[in-house]
Amino acid sequence: MADSSAITHEAVFPPALVQGKNDFHSITETVCGVLEAPKPPKSWYMIFGTAVALLGVLGAMIVYLIATGVGVWGNNQPVAWGWPIVNFVFWVGIGHAGTLISAVLFLFRQDWRTGINRFSEAMTIFAVICAGMFPAIHVGRIWVIWWVFPLPNQMSMWPNFRSPLLWDVFAVSTYFSVSLLFWYMGLVPDLATVRDRAKTKARRFWYGLFALGWNGSNRQWHRYERAYLLLAALATPLVLSVHSVVSFDFATSQLPGWHTTIFPPYFVAGAIFSGFAMVLTLSIPARKIFGLEELITMRHIDNMCKVIMATGMMVGYAYAMEFFMAWYSGNEYEGFAFINRAFGPYWWAYWIMVSCNVLSPQIFWSKKMRNNLTVVFIMSIFVNIGMWFERFVITVTSLNRDFLPSSWHYFSPTWVDVLTLLGSFGLFFTFFMLFCRYLPQVAISEVKNVLPEAHPHHEDH
Amino acid sequence: MTSHDLQLGGDNQAGDVAPRVARVGFALGVIGIAAAAGLGYLTDGEDGPTHFWFAYLVGFAFILTIGMGAMFFTIIQHLVNAHWSVTVRRLAEVTMRTVPMIGLLGLPLLYPLLSHDVTIWQWADAGHHEVAADHGAAAGGALSDEALAHKLESELHHSLVEHKGGFLNTNFFIARLAGYFLIWWLLARFFFRKSVEQDTADGIEPTLRMKKFSAPSVILFALTLSFAAFDLLMSLDETWFSTIFGVYIFSGAFLSSVAWLVVMAKYLQRKGRLTEVIHDEHYHDLGKWMFAFTFFWGYIAFSQFMLIWYANIPEETHFYAWRILPAWHGWSWFLLIGHFIIPFGGLLSRHVKRNTNVLLGWAVYILCMHWIDLYWIVMPNFHRGEVDFANPFSAVEVLLAIGMFGILVGLVAKRLGGQSLVALRDPLLGKSLGFKNL
Repeated sequence: MADSSAITHEAVFPPALVQGKNDFHSITETVCGVLEAPKPPKSWYMIFGTAVALLGVLGAMIVYLIATGVGVWGNNQPVAWGWPIVNFVFWVGIGHAGTLISAVLFLFRQDWRTGINRFSEAMTIFAVICAGMFPAIHVGRIWVIWWVFPLPNQMSMWPNFRSPLLWDVFAVSTYFSVSLLFWYMGLVPDLATVRDRAKTKARRFWYGLFALGWNGSNRQWHRYERAYLLLAALATPLVLSVHSVVSFDFATSQLPGWHTTIFPPYFVAGAIFSGFAMVLTLSIPARKIFGLEELITMRHIDNMCKVIMATGMMVGYAYAMEFFMAWYSGNEYEGFAFINRAFGPYWWAYWIMVSCNVLSPQIFWSKKMRNNLTVVFIMSIFVNIGMWFERFVITVTSLNRDFLPSSWHYFSPTWVDVLTLLGSFGLFFTFFMLFCRYLPQVAISEVKNVLPEAHPHHEDH
Repeated sequence: MTSHDLQLGGDNQAGDVAPRVARVGFALGVIGIAAAAGLGYLTDGEDGPTHFWFAYLVGFAFILTIGMGAMFFTIIQHLVNAHWSVTVRRLAEVTMRTVPMIGLLGLPLLYPLLSHDVTIWQWADAGHHEVAADHGAAAGGALSDEALAHKLESELHHSLVEHKGGFLNTNFFIARLAGYFLIWWLLARFFFRKSVEQDTADGIEPTLRMKKFSAPSVILFALTLSFAAFDLLMSLDETWFSTIFGVYIFSGAFLSSVAWLVVMAKYLQRKGRLTEVIHDEHYHDLGKWMFAFTFFWGYIAFSQFMLIWYANIPEETHFYAWRILPAWHGWSWFLLIGHFIIPFGGLLSRHVKRNTNVLLGWAVYILCMHWIDLYWIVMPNFHRGEVDFANPFSAVEVLLAIGMFGILVGLVAKRLGGQSLVALRDPLLGKSLGFKNL
């Protein structure tokens, strides 16, 4: 067997999920070490500082928006849905990888998910918070935001149950609550570990409070695992439903470029694509800064690159089908919408989208590229950019040249649009950096489970 | 550890089962198709031949999708390096290997494609129908509102068909289908041969080759299956279109192929084969796939229906409009309830998935529902636009379904005997034999 190289052999027998000389104890030490260190690394302060500053910008923009009105954005007729909806869909999409990794990959028995699931579930929750903010501040009169919920009221006024926008309220809030629950439940045993190691009263109290009295008994583990399996099964349809409902916002309309039947699965694939890209964008620096390289290994990165490649091509399939059907349908408005996308005034946005989402991930056919962290990191940013532009292309190019040529106009964002988007990254990274500092970034108990010594028959091999 | 020294228990060769089943399958096939043709051509009146050919297409699509689903099953296991499925993968490989032969069964469809006597793809016969429409309009003299609407509709229809002429014309259609089957033949041959080669290989070279080609193969698979679905099924209604249609057909294909694997495995085990190799854990996982794809099919079908219903654009809605007319109303409900809601509830339980006899029942049920799905897609195109728009369901389609299925059984059985029933020396066979569901 000497002739078949290690790389090809790895294709069938992948390397261990935990690298280095790690055992149960050292994994606890590595993960808890991050939050028990007296001070976080310098780079943490730099990123956190920048994020808080951007969060301040976001706050200022929201105050300005509410004080002045939605007119401060570039939204106008016919592009009544501008950057806010683009940002909303962008962030919901990012928020997809977490539940996919923790629920769907769990059902698929993909053990490698244990290294990154905590991380991406946290990311999911923060991304959905960013997403939810955009429709909320978009309503204009934010003081009546409760009108979006079907609450009995003395005016007998109800939201329109036939509107996908209302379904979105339910879909996103269900997704958020289940993701939060799933994430928190996974955290409980790890919080108890941190509690048990705590050296100060405050730590013992706070971690102890949220550890819910976990003592690691057999009975607790039994129930925990049942609950985990059930939650995974319940969360799996949510992975499909959230972005399908988001796609309904567009696809139920009669607007060329929006109305097409492939939208639901296409949006789901795109969301997973962008979510995994964001996991890479975050985990590549984080594993280095916090010394988690032996837990989030090159195998994890390699697998994520492959998922990105696969979902990127699913998105490419949808682009191709849309284009083909625009011609095949014989509908001249549909045909125009697509010619206009690729060659109209927003051609640059369309081609950024295609090159970032379909062409650039092709680089991952090469294992060398998948193992080059610089390349992977840059690619993950490309995908993030491409997926933002996808939503921009869908929203703006379809609206800006509608059925009435006299109202055609070139949509441009205002500085408030730009700073609000930037600010939403501030919100996201503020939460994320706090998470990195105060909660275990890797699911300690789950990673221990994939160590060879956790397997009863491991000595047979 | 490799699977070299692995001692497999039980009988893992098809032996005398294969020729016997093949004989029965082919006999059923010949009798079924001949009887259906006899019924269609001799007793079914003027429309009989057309009815026969529509039903033939349903049966053809039925076994083709099962074969294609098995092809996807095989390729994806290599792509994701799955180990649970190794013990059942050979069954999928054998099924996949019959796709080129199923392609030969498609050749008779050239007759309705090219002949003017029988039309199932109306675009192929557009010129012929145009004359009839004009004739009808001219005979009326001064046009009533209704006749004018009819005339406008027929003109629109004509211009649409003309627009698509670059794609929907008989020559290009035949060339495309030949292309799909060529690609499928190459894929099936490659993955089958390499897998059999692995049975006796010293290293894991054949497995690595399959892994290497699995990713590009999936891309080829996705594109060819989608366009084949557009060509064979969607273009029956030449003005209708749906971007999700390829995914819809894929979901049914994969679902039915997993059900077919359960049927195969259970049958072989009853005949004393593979008894020590395939166990409850594998059935449990196959059951999970059936459940997951029942759901996925429902999701895709719902996406297609809901978006078309909601936007309510006539050029799309007519697909569903026909299917909710009284003639098809019941079938549409039956599809929703029978293809989605009932198996969803039925396969939910872990006990069902691990009770292999009950699971077998569900597998047979799913195969039947898959046929009904295809029938529901194809058959409303027969009689469409006519006053006496009706569901022609009769013995013709039942006989054809049995006949086509018999041929699939025969083709698969014929392939079964040539090699082991399990992928010997697959590097992951040991893991597959030993794995347990949580």
